Amino acid sequence: MAKHLIIDGHLDMAFNGLFYRRDLTQSVYELRNREDSIRGGVSAHPDSLERRMGPRPKHFTPTVALPEMRKGKVGIMLSTIMARVQDPAGNTHNALRTQANAYARGQSHLAYYRALERKGEITFIKSTSDLDACIQSWENPTEQTPIGLILSMESADSILGPDQVGEWYDAGLRSVSLTHFGANSYGHGTGTVGGLYPPAYPLMDALSETNIAIDLTHAADLAFWHILDYWKGPVHASHCNCRALVPGQRHLSDEMITAITGRGGVIGTVFAEQMLNPAWNWDDPRTHYATSTRPMKAALEHIDHICTLTGNTDHIAFGTDLDGGFGLELSPTDYNTIDDLQRFLNLMSDHGFSDEDIAKYASGNLIQFFKNIWS
Amino acid sequence: MSDHPYLILDSHLDLGFSALQINRDLTQPAQTVRVADSELTMRSFGSCTTTFHDLHKGHVGIVFGTVMSRIDPNDLWTGTGMYDQTQCHGVGMGHYSVYKAMERDGIITQIHNRADLDASIQAWQNPQADTPIGLVLAMESADPILDPEQVPFWYDLGLRIVSISHYGTSSYCHGTGTEGGLLDRGRPLLDALKKAGIIVDLTHTTDQAFWEILDHYDGPVAASHHNCRALVPGQRQLTDDMIKAIVERGGVIGAAFDAWMLDPNWKRETPAWGQTTQATLETVADHIDHIAQLVGSANHSGIGSDLDGGFGQEQSPRDLNTIADLQRIPEILDRRGYSDADIGNLMSGNWVRLLKNVWG
Repeated sequence: MAKHLIIDGHLDMAFNGLFYRRDLTQSVYELRNREDSIRGGVSAHPDSLERRMGPRPKHFTPTVALPEMRKGKVGIMLSTIMARVQDPAGNTHNALRTQANAYARGQSHLAYYRALERKGEITFIKSTSDLDACIQSWENPTEQTPIGLILSMESADSILGPDQVGEWYDAGLRSVSLTHFGANSYGHGTGTVGGLYPPAYPLMDALSETNIAIDLTHAADLAFWHILDYWKGPVHASHCNCRALVPGQRHLSDEMITAITGRGGVIGTVFAEQMLNPAWNWDDPRTHYATSTRPMKAALEHIDHICTLTGNTDHIAFGTDLDGGFGLELSPTDYNTIDDLQRFLNLMSDHGFSDEDIAKYASGNLIQFFKNIWS
Repeated sequence: MSDHPYLILDSHLDLGFSALQINRDLTQPAQTVRVADSELTMRSFGSCTTTFHDLHKGHVGIVFGTVMSRIDPNDLWTGTGMYDQTQCHGVGMGHYSVYKAMERDGIITQIHNRADLDASIQAWQNPQADTPIGLVLAMESADPILDPEQVPFWYDLGLRIVSISHYGTSSYCHGTGTEGGLLDRGRPLLDALKKAGIIVDLTHTTDQAFWEILDHYDGPVAASHHNCRALVPGQRQLTDDMIKAIVERGGVIGAAFDAWMLDPNWKRETPAWGQTTQATLETVADHIDHIAQLVGSANHSGIGSDLDGGFGQEQSPRDLNTIADLQRIPEILDRRGYSDADIGNLMSGNWVRLLKNVWG
């Protein structure tokens, strides 16, 4: 089977570049060879208690870098600005004490993408013509073909207020999830129970003046329905699996899937053990495995489920989240680096999907989703 | 000595780093931040001394706030030592964005030019509770500047003073803890800085690089946070010859408040919380005094405290609690016989004069 162009609907590339200090222009194997034994941050100071406890086991072996994306024809990505207001006891890179700091972290991610663009490694996609040009460039790619970036944001804390939406739009922002983990400036996210806070409404008003889509991933259940009640613009779920197959609020109920697809949204499949293993409950840490047990074909069950619910293949896409705070250890057992997504397309074929449906899953549905919004 | 608080200009504070990497709310009093910081943060970065609240309280009305990121693969500690310049650029822009967010809230106002500087000085003659702190954008290690062509981009953001290196070896030059001089890429960068009118900060250069920069670069120079090797041995401090060379070029030297740079007995390998320094604010005054005696005037020193620049109260002069205590320096200088005019110059006037000379 010839390689299809793949769009990954959710990657945290800048987080990988700046937190794990991965030079994403290097191959995954190069990155593995020089991976820091201890992640950056407070705990690694020579004086710190954690440092004295010695290196921790690796749970974050990288699988995503630009050379492997090119190899696997993952030519376009939604990649995030990722910073939120949250109790910073854990991860000090993304979980920040103030919204001002979350804005600054988000800007650092943006600057990292711009520096990659300056090197010719990636190219920002802000319009239909940018999108068409990028698709065109991937018809006959070279080793240097830049990877297209549709800028997304995971947690809207980096937007300091409605008046700043225009600045982010100009920077290229085209999709934003209002919440992420915990409760942030705008509402309740994964791991919490509740809806939106009042500042979310003027923010949505400002977003509606642009053609930025709202990503419903990481909305708490009540927040999910609060958003759909108020927001008339485009919605999608960049990286969500099905609650009918895997328990927990992090996943979409059938009712949610129907609501999103009914409004033209696309749902990206996540390639992570915690989203594919029914024994793993997001809301119950006692069920969390340290290593993965399920292969890539487990993702087929989720794709099947969405197609059955909707009666078509128009709303499925990749949204892998690979290296998004986990690594090889929690990726599917038969997955090694991101070019393996092409092997997943072969699995789809073996499973009975037509070549046309596979093309829609690989990139066609997300292309259509954004063209509908942008044209 | 004046009855009124002096306007203090601090020529080196890593406020962006403290906000973004140590993850502090710098609008709060330092003593509130201390309660919020975790034990691990305290052990790694020490007790907070410097926030916008305490700067305001101490009439530290103008600061040089850094963008700080460097090439340093071995830095598993600060979140600012990176593998490649692309990453340094990202981290640096994060620090700049901290200042933009603070400016949006009216906590600071960025100083780009002489008019901004005059306005800040004017505002601090009769400060109100909401008078913003004037901030001149500085950079410690030039790695966030991707190449000489990007200097105008940074100038437009407000960058007015840059040190070419920091700890280790940057993309452009050898720095503290290494031996060597300017790298090949350093000279074109210096040329671009000269063209833009950006001050070169000689702090954190190696001895060899110090003299190579002075040979190559004929634009304005300074040493933002630097003490005297005659009093505290080590490459990190300036020799008397270096002090004279900076002064001959019209530069200013900011006195640093890091115990490692004040106390010859400070042991770098021992955690800050495992030792006690004998350095006090008087020790800082000794360095200011040394420069004044060496060059025969009080026109070339200032305050470049570096407080909370990777260390906290434990590694600061033992009689300093927060940065508001900088306001106690004038009385020490007064006791040592400095005139009111001299004290005013040392607290801010010398830096203001240098900036005005450069900016026209």
